[in-house]
Amino acid sequence: MTQATLPLIDIDALVRDDEVHRDCYVSNEVFDLEMERIFGQAWVYVGHDSQIPDAGDYWTTLIGRESVVMTRDKQGEVHVLYNRCPHKGARIAPEGCGHVKGLFRCPYHAWTFNMDGQLRGVPYREGYEGTSFDIEDPRFSMRKVGRVANYRGFVFASLAEEGVSFESFIAGVKSSLDNFCDRAPNGTVSVAGGVFRVMQRSNWKVFFENLNDTGHPIATHESSYRAARQYSNEKLGGEMPFQLHIIDGNGAPPKFWSDLDLHAFDYGHSYMTAIFKAPDDPLSQAYFQSLAEAKGEETAKEILSVNRHNTIIYPSCSPHTSFQQWRVIRPISPDRTLVEIFTFRLDGAPEELLQRTFIYSNVVNSPSSIVMTDDVHVYAECQKGLETQGGDWVSQHRNAGQDQPYEGADGGVIGVGSSELPIRNQFRAWHQYMSDAARPADGDTGS
Amino acid sequence: MTGPGSPADGFVYDDIRDFLNLEARLLDQRKFDEWNALFTPEGMYWVPLADQQADPVNHLSLVYEDAMMREVRINRLRHDRAWSQQPRSRTAHSVSCIVIEERYPDEGRVVVGSSFMMSEWRSFGLRTLAGLYTHDLVLSGDGYRIAQKRVDLIDSEGVFEPIEVFI
Repeated sequence: MTQATLPLIDIDALVRDDEVHRDCYVSNEVFDLEMERIFGQAWVYVGHDSQIPDAGDYWTTLIGRESVVMTRDKQGEVHVLYNRCPHKGARIAPEGCGHVKGLFRCPYHAWTFNMDGQLRGVPYREGYEGTSFDIEDPRFSMRKVGRVANYRGFVFASLAEEGVSFESFIAGVKSSLDNFCDRAPNGTVSVAGGVFRVMQRSNWKVFFENLNDTGHPIATHESSYRAARQYSNEKLGGEMPFQLHIIDGNGAPPKFWSDLDLHAFDYGHSYMTAIFKAPDDPLSQAYFQSLAEAKGEETAKEILSVNRHNTIIYPSCSPHTSFQQWRVIRPISPDRTLVEIFTFRLDGAPEELLQRTFIYSNVVNSPSSIVMTDDVHVYAECQKGLETQGGDWVSQHRNAGQDQPYEGADGGVIGVGSSELPIRNQFRAWHQYMSDAARPADGDTGS
Repeated sequence: MTGPGSPADGFVYDDIRDFLNLEARLLDQRKFDEWNALFTPEGMYWVPLADQQADPVNHLSLVYEDAMMREVRINRLRHDRAWSQQPRSRTAHSVSCIVIEERYPDEGRVVVGSSFMMSEWRSFGLRTLAGLYTHDLVLSGDGYRIAQKRVDLIDSEGVFEPIEVFI
């Protein structure tokens, strides 16, 4: 992709109030521009600092197309660096989570770096005498990304050195991050149990649009909720154990979904009120006791009264506060999206609660989920259909024009549960990012 | 179960090999009910997420299914509106390097290791999954039953497209 063709895209012509052009999903040029203007500017989720508890720990991931590494230094500070050696360009940290003894060491020529990226040592030092090389010059250190924010352990970064503050960016859905952590008796959470990685043959926005889309479950997930009901009826007299209950939920009738609330905020964020009531079994009671002992009964009740399904933090992640899931969305190409799913421990809660969280995650978020497989299939079908000339526009009409300002806490806009409000809201943000002239100047992007 | 050349503890290698081959064959023929009936009532089908994963309860797994969840998966695979099964997955398993690793004659239990490859064709094309099986088998009057089938994929921590059928 050459820079010269980018200005030819007329962003205004791609987005209407209630529909968007298919090029948003299938065009390579649009994708390239998204990498620059959205993922080059927005606050993007990098990881959780519990993944790097000790000095020398690191975690690698992607911000747009940029390979980055999150590190912790001796002072306990978290840094986010481009994963590139300033010498020959080799990636320095191997993929995934790991630990080095205080210094990164490039596998190619053994240049060494502090965990904050600063160059420490260069072999054959005498050979650099009389050259413009300077060990103190930042261009010979690993480059830091523009800005980093760590909110209660959740680390976000923006490649841009200037732009909207993290506080403004997160304001609408900050209450979801707070509730995610407040549910822990200790007030902190930590990543546990590994990471699921799923590749989708579809555009990254398709996944975001699905997260708060209540119109699809009854159709898309029919095979799995019917399968669960069949077993329940044939073998259990209609009883629904936890796993089947989760699967069965997708078969709820339209009125159930309409009665939920959808809340939408600036920057494309949104959340939906919960599908599942908080369980009231002995384990849940024991968990409530642990929370009440730490925070007092009233506060514990208040915390658990905030019961939400997916929260969307556009354009990079989606926490599920009630079941401690955190999905990370990484665009790979117009028709490939990597989704990584993390599961969290509520620090101080009974260990059995984490086991139940794993069961939820195994059923809903594993690559082998009998629920998700139909989602992923339908996303790919959307992508294939959008690549045809069968039509240029994608409808987002459901309940358009009916959304109302919300007067309660968090503010924003509220819509009925069946509304396509979150999708329209995402495209408002998309339009804003994509039109924003305050993007990195040509030449700064390396192209 | 004794015969010429058979060991004193009753675990005959050829019987075990035949059992593993039959199990794979049932999966490839989509005879899922018969396959599921090979398990003991408490039998588990487990695909760990981590390399050397110690336990299925305190860590995420790609799959950890009891009789109920296996049957629900089977029900779904047969449903007309299992969208991602259009076309249906077709598979071919190869099982090899079968080794009896542990023998517990007092419990009638034997642990068997093997290697496998499973080729699968479905809507997104052809793919291959490969790894190690560990079968925890119980020998009873009517032959072997699976107390646990553990499937260690060599890329268990990698990136997957959906896994729908049993591996």
